[in-house]
Amino acid sequence: MKILIADDDSLSRRLLEKTLQRAKYEVTAVENGLSAAVQLCKIDGPRLALLDWQMPELDGPGVCREVRKRKDQGYVYMILLTSKALKKDIVTGLGAGADDYLTKPFDTEELKARLRTGQRILELEDKLVEAREYMRFKATHDSLTSLFNRGVIMELLGREISRSRRERIPTAIMLCDVDHFKKVNDTHGHLIGDEVLQEVARRLLSSVRSYDYVGRYGGEEFLVILNNCDATAAPGRAEALRKAIADTPVNTTIGPFRVTLSTGMHQTDNWGFRTVEELLHEVDAALYAAKAAGRNCVKFAKSDITADDPRALATQAVEIVPR
Amino acid sequence: MNTASASILDLEDLLNRVDDDRELLAELFLIFKTVFPAHLQRLSEAVNGESATQVETESHTLKGMLLNLSAPRAAAAASELERLGRDHSIGSMKVAFAGFQAEAEALLSQMDECVIELRP
Repeated sequence: MKILIADDDSLSRRLLEKTLQRAKYEVTAVENGLSAAVQLCKIDGPRLALLDWQMPELDGPGVCREVRKRKDQGYVYMILLTSKALKKDIVTGLGAGADDYLTKPFDTEELKARLRTGQRILELEDKLVEAREYMRFKATHDSLTSLFNRGVIMELLGREISRSRRERIPTAIMLCDVDHFKKVNDTHGHLIGDEVLQEVARRLLSSVRSYDYVGRYGGEEFLVILNNCDATAAPGRAEALRKAIADTPVNTTIGPFRVTLSTGMHQTDNWGFRTVEELLHEVDAALYAAKAAGRNCVKFAKSDITADDPRALATQAVEIVPR
Repeated sequence: MNTASASILDLEDLLNRVDDDRELLAELFLIFKTVFPAHLQRLSEAVNGESATQVETESHTLKGMLLNLSAPRAAAAASELERLGRDHSIGSMKVAFAGFQAEAEALLSQMDECVIELRP
């Protein structure tokens, strides 16, 4: 494990360095508080530290305060090791954010024992962070496909539409539905249906850019948000996603299936004043038109927005991408 | 090594701290002998210049070093100087500094003896 020693006294520094190397620590030794704070605030910096109190540029308690200001990194366990042994010094040191306090001269066995305590605390913190991240993932992602779940993709849609309105950046929304999915489930069972959904999800996700979003909207429906996608690019992007599914059969445990998607798409940089729900209703109408046109195709929703009456004109589904 | 010199440098305690690594011990002595004169010079200047804060700072650093070297008498003398500096007891500093110097000289002499003893 990495450990930082900060001490301006070269003798103490060397003694600690050797003692900790013998105890199998990966030691970084610095001679002033500022260097210590820089090391400890690095993303992959040491998470255990032994700090002298009195150092040039920044003292030990100052290092503790600087490190504790950082909220975006793992916990750093800091021990003040000093010849200041007054009770008020101990209180000040711990108050600055130190986790423990040892006085010079240190006893080697006691020092190692206290460092092991620090390691236990850090391991516990790692487990808690891991559990929190797992829960966060579970709360935001669909358990079958690992895509964003409906709640999150809707929230992202709202955010991206707002951004598109604010910055006049073109955005495209796609609602994709697996064709004849009920038949797959009825004929081969839900487990095979699940395999199909997982593969469709994987292909959709690998076909978009890192700043686009894909979520499971419900059942066999997927919602795709393409950021910064203008009217020229949209048909090509939609066709690429359609082909990503249709061109290669999906391999399942009982053999390969040809799977296709019907897609409703909406693309603009002028969303008017409609709500997200109203926009989705328009995309859904385009999806319905794609189904009616024989499936495995993309239909665009088109809304003619005017400044005078943004809600007045009805949505029309118009064919864009040939099958 | 006689009893009187043992109180200047507690070699048993020090060897225990360095896990009986005599090579490291010799290295630590060398570091001390290299850095100590500059510390002593700064401390002397602080005492003569009646800079209580500087006396406190320098003697604190020396105390930490001496404690790690298991040199209790010199560490106690440095600790006393640190206290005087903290309390701004300017009048007592020169006497305390002379006492510290005497302890430091005894320690350096003791270290030289130890280095000879520690040679393989």
